[in-house]
Amino acid sequence: MEKTIGVLALQGSFNEHIECLKKCVDEKGYNIEVLTVKTIEQLLKCDSLVIPGGESTTISQIAERTGLYDHLYKFVRTEGKSVWGTCAGMIFLARDVRNQANLLKPLGALDVAVDRNAFGRQLDSFVSDCDFSFWGTQEDSFSAVFIRAPIVSEIYNNERVQVLHKVEKNGQEYIVAVRQGKILGTSFHPELGSDIRFHNWFIEEFVLK
Amino acid sequence: MSAEYKLKVGLAQMLKGGVIMDVVTPEQAKVAERAGACAVMALERIPADMRKCGEVCRMSDPQMIKDIMDSVSIPVMAKVRIGHTVEAVILQELGVDYIDESEVLTPADMSDHIKKNDYKVPFVCGAKTLGEALRRINEGAAFIRSKGEAGTGDVSEAVKHIKSIYSQIAWCKENLVTKEDFENHAKELRVPVSLLEQTVELGKLPVVTFAAGGVATPADAALLMQLGCEGIFVGSGIFKSSNPEKLARAIVQATTHYASPAKLLEVSRDLGVAMPGTTIASITKENGTRLSEIGW
Repeated sequence: MEKTIGVLALQGSFNEHIECLKKCVDEKGYNIEVLTVKTIEQLLKCDSLVIPGGESTTISQIAERTGLYDHLYKFVRTEGKSVWGTCAGMIFLARDVRNQANLLKPLGALDVAVDRNAFGRQLDSFVSDCDFSFWGTQEDSFSAVFIRAPIVSEIYNNERVQVLHKVEKNGQEYIVAVRQGKILGTSFHPELGSDIRFHNWFIEEFVLK
Repeated sequence: MSAEYKLKVGLAQMLKGGVIMDVVTPEQAKVAERAGACAVMALERIPADMRKCGEVCRMSDPQMIKDIMDSVSIPVMAKVRIGHTVEAVILQELGVDYIDESEVLTPADMSDHIKKNDYKVPFVCGAKTLGEALRRINEGAAFIRSKGEAGTGDVSEAVKHIKSIYSQIAWCKENLVTKEDFENHAKELRVPVSLLEQTVELGKLPVVTFAAGGVATPADAALLMQLGCEGIFVGSGIFKSSNPEKLARAIVQATTHYASPAKLLEVSRDLGVAMPGTTIASITKENGTRLSEIGW
């Protein structure tokens, strides 16, 4: 049966996600349609949703003003739907935003707290080669791009939320990728660049399973 | 692409589909953030007022920029004069998220733009043609915007610059065939062949491209998005209007829903009085300088 993956296109790197997903579909021949989501009608067609990087305050406020918010709230809680948030997307999915939260209305689907801009401003942005052994493949080093990135600062439910990856920075470890059932959150941006392994893994592990 | 350049271009990619607003105080910055701006440009004076004053326009006071950085959670940009390498060093030291090497300020160096590859902080630059855009990218700009005529409320120059950049890329795609064609044209544009080849292959500039200069209404923003821009800078338009907060919000919505006639109608209603504006035609050699004539 054909699946539809929507990419929330209110603001941010949504075209980058769409290109990565389409490349996966082309290369692997998945029976998947990739859809740009700006409206309620488009959202209702989706089995899966990607919330891109961008500015979380912008995405959250536009979602509220267009009436999309309530439908997103329902979508991320619907059994069987898969969701992936990158950077701002992960912030938007979290239950709590610990700092700079006044303009944000997070969807609360991911049972964690996040800190925004946790590493600092743009001059503190960085690229880190991450080991993603959980893919279960040989080639597990992935170049992850962190731009004014958030971190997961607390996990409220250790049984439901699985830590997928931590990075070490200034002698401290930070959680930068988590999974809660069919919801995935990453602090970094697999949509930047031409490496589509992360998107492929999301499709195989979240969308098709 | 080096990791550092990837981060520079990457932040611009995160701004896509968004609106970057000029602000002169922390209060305005908060209004912009509340309206849904994806970043703000911290300035002492908005372009419309710079135009009127006729004085030398320089980098803003770093303290004033810092106050704005402390008042919002979104990225903060600030402008330096063309070629002013020390203003750039100061803003990098301050930690702004992006520097705009801007023709809106009075140029400091009439022969060279800043070698932007030498800095860790990313730069955005204005352009009105493909050659100009590629020269700036070659110097290290990680983000391009149209020059437009900032401070006028007349959108026609921004439209002209964006159309000229895209039509010149289309022309190259159509007419450059052999290696020699590419070499000759690259020479003409004064850019490396590899950069021209990359642009033609992509069918767009290899960095994010926003519209800037003269945007005053939601319809202006949507017009430029429909022409292929990836986001919008709004300067004087917002805080020179009678209801800045409402207009700012409407421009944000129009930039997201630029292809939806129903949404555009909805957000264009009841916005109060737009900035009064100055037509491009009224700026002559005798009474002023068109910004598009600044930079090269």
